Amino acid sequence: MGTALLIAIFLPFAALVILPLAGRVLGPRVGWLALVFPVISAGIIINLALGTESFGQQTVAYTWVPVLGVELSFLVDGLSLFYGLVVSVMGVLITFYAANYLDGHYEFHGRFYAYLMLFMAAMLGTVFANHLVLLFIFWELTGISSFLLIGFLHGEKKSRYGARMALLVTGITGLVLMAGLLLLGIVAGEFSMAALLTAPPTDVPVGLLGGAFLLVAIGSFGKSAQFPFHFWLPNAMAAPTPVSAYLHSATMVKLGVFMVARVYPIFVDLEWWTPLLVAIGFLTMALAAVLAILSHDLKAILAYSTVSQLGFLIGFYGMGGLGGTHYDLLHVVNHVFFKGCLFMVVGIVDHATHTRDLRQLGGLGRRMPLLAVIALLSAASMAGLPGTLGFLSKEYMLKDAFYFAEAGADWRAWYPLALIVLASVLKVAFSIRLFWGIFGGAASPAVKEHFHHPGLLIQLPPLLLAACCLVFGFAPGAIAAFSETLAVGGLHLPGAPEIKLWHGVTRELITSMAIVAAGAVIFALGAATAWRWARIPLPLQFDTGFEAGVERLPKAALNLSRFLRDNKPLDYIPVIGLFLVVFLGGYFAYHWERFEVFDDFSFQEGFHYLRSFVVLLILLAVIGVVALPRWTTQLLSISIVGFLVTFYFVLFRAPDLAMTQILVESATLLLVLLLLSRFPRSAELGERRSPFSPLRKAVNLIVAVGIGGCVGLFSFLTSRQKVDDFAGLWFLERTVPDAKGTNAVNTILVDFRGLDTLFEIAVLVIAVLGAIGLLMRYRRSRQEYAEGALGASGFSVKGVRRRQ
Amino acid sequence: MMFETAILVGILFGFAVWLILQSSFVKILFGFILLSNAANLAMLSSSGSPSGRSAPVVLDGIAVTAMADPLPQALVLTAIVIGFGVLSYLVVLLYRIFLDQKTTNAAELFDESRSQEGGPEQ
Repeated sequence: MGTALLIAIFLPFAALVILPLAGRVLGPRVGWLALVFPVISAGIIINLALGTESFGQQTVAYTWVPVLGVELSFLVDGLSLFYGLVVSVMGVLITFYAANYLDGHYEFHGRFYAYLMLFMAAMLGTVFANHLVLLFIFWELTGISSFLLIGFLHGEKKSRYGARMALLVTGITGLVLMAGLLLLGIVAGEFSMAALLTAPPTDVPVGLLGGAFLLVAIGSFGKSAQFPFHFWLPNAMAAPTPVSAYLHSATMVKLGVFMVARVYPIFVDLEWWTPLLVAIGFLTMALAAVLAILSHDLKAILAYSTVSQLGFLIGFYGMGGLGGTHYDLLHVVNHVFFKGCLFMVVGIVDHATHTRDLRQLGGLGRRMPLLAVIALLSAASMAGLPGTLGFLSKEYMLKDAFYFAEAGADWRAWYPLALIVLASVLKVAFSIRLFWGIFGGAASPAVKEHFHHPGLLIQLPPLLLAACCLVFGFAPGAIAAFSETLAVGGLHLPGAPEIKLWHGVTRELITSMAIVAAGAVIFALGAATAWRWARIPLPLQFDTGFEAGVERLPKAALNLSRFLRDNKPLDYIPVIGLFLVVFLGGYFAYHWERFEVFDDFSFQEGFHYLRSFVVLLILLAVIGVVALPRWTTQLLSISIVGFLVTFYFVLFRAPDLAMTQILVESATLLLVLLLLSRFPRSAELGERRSPFSPLRKAVNLIVAVGIGGCVGLFSFLTSRQKVDDFAGLWFLERTVPDAKGTNAVNTILVDFRGLDTLFEIAVLVIAVLGAIGLLMRYRRSRQEYAEGALGASGFSVKGVRRRQ
Repeated sequence: MMFETAILVGILFGFAVWLILQSSFVKILFGFILLSNAANLAMLSSSGSPSGRSAPVVLDGIAVTAMADPLPQALVLTAIVIGFGVLSYLVVLLYRIFLDQKTTNAAELFDESRSQEGGPEQ
């Protein structure tokens, strides 16, 4: 079983390499090649599902990152198999549909199918994942592939915005989910989902467990587009229609629902489970139904109706009692059938007429009779008309809501029922509108102009789904058997009541009929007023607000960095210096006691007379550097400092240093003098005035004095101790026997640390090469500057043009 | 105990930093020269007081423990040479800036309002 499951999950990843390459050769026909992957996965999972037992649970584990305790482990039980089936079988249908849908008008077919397969693999990984970290990784992978697919038509602004919005919302809530899963794993001390499900954590702090639940719930709300995250899904409709049908109605957006079902046994005991899920779920259900009736775009209507259904599913799990639930799979599978079908129908309509606006469509019934039948069946299922699977779903939905209302303590228990009725009425209304708007009435001008007939093959997948709506609607026994086989411990109650088509005249039936009637009335009212009033009010346009926020964020960041940043490098140096002063000075001040700076101070020991005299001379020379007016005199003062330092080296018993310093000092004097001689007098005069403000001068002074003080103190502290076994002792002992030289400094440089000297020479070579490059660049003319940085680069002698 | 050396290092560092904080490139260059001297002295002073020690040249009759530490001297020698290399590069760079930008002042170089004669014009 393990290997087969691994193939089902990881084989589609191979498509990432194969399909883009094949796409270059095959073009639009690559879709038929892509069909291989979902067929294999679906075959394996169907095979697994056939061999499964009710309430069975198996895990498959491979070591992955043993250091972190992360395993590549998968959990096979009813729930994961159910979603695995949905994902892979829908994958087959969608790929078949897409192979017909994406014709030569589209580009990058190979890439499209590669993304689609990536998504399918990620989805399968998510639903089968056993380790919590693995679950999160696959979860985010679905979000990334969703981003790639929504933004597939990246030439359109709507696609880019929709993709970004989906990525931000699902990505950020995904991180919240990660926090929740990690918290759950840490609190329970167990990262394996199978172990958590069989033995839910009991004696753990309720606050922490509740926190984990809240975070997981937010993650699920984000993915399943629950209020207040509901706005991203309609914007994700910018994707090609196969993607909308697959990701944004049938599979990915159900991940939140899946997650709630998955963690049901773990969190259901919590006090917050029912209030949170019921409140958010049913609010979303009703709100999205309202938004759907206010929309005109076919895909927007379907998107909002998806959000509405997802809200119901979340709320449904919220209503579930302690023991478990019944028939959640009925509601999910019903939605997969009719919504997937409707999306495909809409895609075909869009393809045939080049418009998705209900106000411009009409009269297609006569032109596409087969499609009209398909749409009629699926719309009837969405509206919940008798004879379809949707009718059964609505019956049991109302049954559960009635039961919940009766069992509840006060009026708040009626909240789900009221919102379900409201949403269902609206759903009936927009189902009729959807069908009638496309197929009923006379052909509109837009239809007459653009219509071209769709092929038969593209209508096969929706036909299949519509047939499922009808067949299962009349044969509920199959659904019951299906649910029974895929039941999961902790989530489902054993021995579910039989699903029957006819219960007699019950309150559910009467309510259902009243809903249909009310929905028809609303449709009639809307049609009479030509839906002129239907417009989403501004306060409900969450996406506009979100988009504005996203747009404003970079601007705010830009303003902040403009406020903090300065374009002049000169202004940074005092800041860095000031930091050093505060850091070092603070350190010294804080540890002042420890250093015992003046503890054994004496003037006799502290000052050496000859060195002190040299220091005095250097001090005078340094003052000259700052006080003297001319550059040349300043340079001479600098030189005097250098030569006095040479003498200081002599006092330090460092003859080699003194030799080097005297040479370098002479060369420096000549070199800088040469430079200064090239500057005109005006340049020097122009600099008498300091451009700095008094404040800046004060800061400079503080930095200079501070750094001088700190380094002086540091130097004093390091030189205070008189040690007898200093580091260089080893060199002194080894210099004659090893290096055959008496001067230890010389032997260190050329023998012991010869490589260092080599690198030192390399530094000099680099400096010389740099200097040559700078000197040989000829002056560029105005015209050459105007040509830009790459125009007329100059390794050339001054005045000689290499290029005219 | 080498108060005078510590004071010297402190003063040299202070003046060097002051010069580097100026806007004139020539002053910055002078600051760099001073800074390099100051850093060398700070390094050397870490070998302790030289009083009563001889130069690190091994000759008969002098105990090695009575010599100055050769290691800081070797390091400083390298530093002097590299400091000179960098200085000569800076000198040439400064010359180049003057040729291209017609200024020896950093504040003027980065002044956006200045019309750059012969410079890049957008």
